[in-house]
Amino acid sequence: MNTKKNYKFYVLALIPFFIIVLLFEILPLINIVIESFSKRGGGFTIEHFVKIFSTRLYQQSIFNSLWISLFSAIVGIVIAFIAAKAMSNATPKIRSAFTSVLNITSNFAGVPLAFAFMILLGNVGILTLIGKNYGIDFLANFDLYTINGLLLTYIYFQIPLGTLLMLPIFAGLKKEWREAVGLLGGNSFHYWFKVAIPSLLPSILGTFSVLFANALAAYGTAYALLSNNISILPIRISQQFVGEVVQNQEFGCALSLVMMALMVISILITNKLQKKSGGVR
Amino acid sequence: MKLKTHLWDGLILFIIAAFLIVPLALTFLYSVFTAWMDILPTGFTLQFYTQIFTDGAFINSLLRSLVISFVPVCICSFAILLVLYVMTLYMPKLEKYVEILCNIPYAIQGVILAVGIISLYSGKPGFLSNRLFLLVGAYCIIILPYTFRGLKNTIGALNVKCVIEAAQVLGCSQLHAFFTIIIPQMKNGIISTMMLAFTMLFADFVVVNMIAGSAFRTAGIYLYQTMSKSGQLSSAIIVILFITTFIISTLTLMIQNKAVVKRGKN
Repeated sequence: MNTKKNYKFYVLALIPFFIIVLLFEILPLINIVIESFSKRGGGFTIEHFVKIFSTRLYQQSIFNSLWISLFSAIVGIVIAFIAAKAMSNATPKIRSAFTSVLNITSNFAGVPLAFAFMILLGNVGILTLIGKNYGIDFLANFDLYTINGLLLTYIYFQIPLGTLLMLPIFAGLKKEWREAVGLLGGNSFHYWFKVAIPSLLPSILGTFSVLFANALAAYGTAYALLSNNISILPIRISQQFVGEVVQNQEFGCALSLVMMALMVISILITNKLQKKSGGVR
Repeated sequence: MKLKTHLWDGLILFIIAAFLIVPLALTFLYSVFTAWMDILPTGFTLQFYTQIFTDGAFINSLLRSLVISFVPVCICSFAILLVLYVMTLYMPKLEKYVEILCNIPYAIQGVILAVGIISLYSGKPGFLSNRLFLLVGAYCIIILPYTFRGLKNTIGALNVKCVIEAAQVLGCSQLHAFFTIIIPQMKNGIISTMMLAFTMLFADFVVVNMIAGSAFRTAGIYLYQTMSKSGQLSSAIIVILFITTFIISTLTLMIQNKAVVKRGKN
């Protein structure tokens, strides 16, 4: 009797979770797949994908998205690595101060971040004006409203996230390894490139994949900075649903499926590389 | 030699910190001065802040943001706690499947999730096409991975089975024991997980912009609409939003640290 009552209860307890997941995760996901292969009005088709991979506009958006995500993740991870390394050598006081900076700025992204860079480097931005007034061409001619400007803002939000993720892994480096390398006649180049980096590689790759996905999905910054004037996947997708362009739901779903595939592929590649490189646990 | 490396590390950290702080600090300065045509701004003023706080539209949008971020966090945490209860006590096998379901949102971040939900429900009759209902649902999915991981780690640190068995021996029912013994012990973990999820939703722009748009003006949407009108007003809004997030995340860190210290003492 008691077990039966319990059984009833725990089926009941699972219901809220499964309703949420079904309604807002599983069904929408299935719907994206179905609609990507649907014609307006019904019937199976692959024309949306043919259009995506044969139209310059959409090829460009895939290329730009991949390029921006890769580049900002690589630069982000290099800077994060350098920062985390410097932090692991710093005194506790400096370390906690820098951690505060990271925690504060990791909340600074999206539309507010785009706006801050407009104030700084936009057409009448502070640094731009200073550049003009004092003849610093680099600042005066920097055009924020291009893919380069966008890259700068993306790199900005990658740094705090990347460093916060890299920080704990530096604790895994043992002092003895460095001494061992020294005893065997190696220098710090040997230590970093033959011992430390290879052993940290799985964690570095994991962080890289987080940064990549983060940049690929980012929308607010690009939308606020360039509105619809930049060809990246999230912008092209949202355009199919909101805004002045003729709305095309099925095509939007197909674009989303392509973006989802990129996400999944990047996760799979990272998993595979992580397994291959092994490293220390 | 030792001193030199320290200087070098300090310099690196200083440069990176400066790069991170400058845009933020300038946004703040921009909001309290009337003009900025040379190196230094001129005309200190707080008029933009008074303007915002006397403008009912902004206050309303801020309240909307707070509510729409808070409600999904509560729903999602409650649903996950129930699942964790069943999972730890009766059906450990369930974990594998729940884990998969909770990791899917990583692959359907932001725009993809919004597309899935709009394309499925928009134009459908009844409450299903209610934009607020959809927004709450989408928000539950966005925070799902983080909430699940946070709560699972918290519950994992406790010896749930033993405690519940002990309570049963003393004549307490399992469910009663779970809510009066386990949940209070998890309090710090639950609160910090919920706050983290809250700050994520509070910063959202993409999902609310696609699902609700100007029909439900949150602070993020309000900021976007103000941006083209007034630079100083926008930066004042950013500062206010930022301070809100900052307070919440500082409190979260404090709670987390307290939890660590407490656990260390035990």
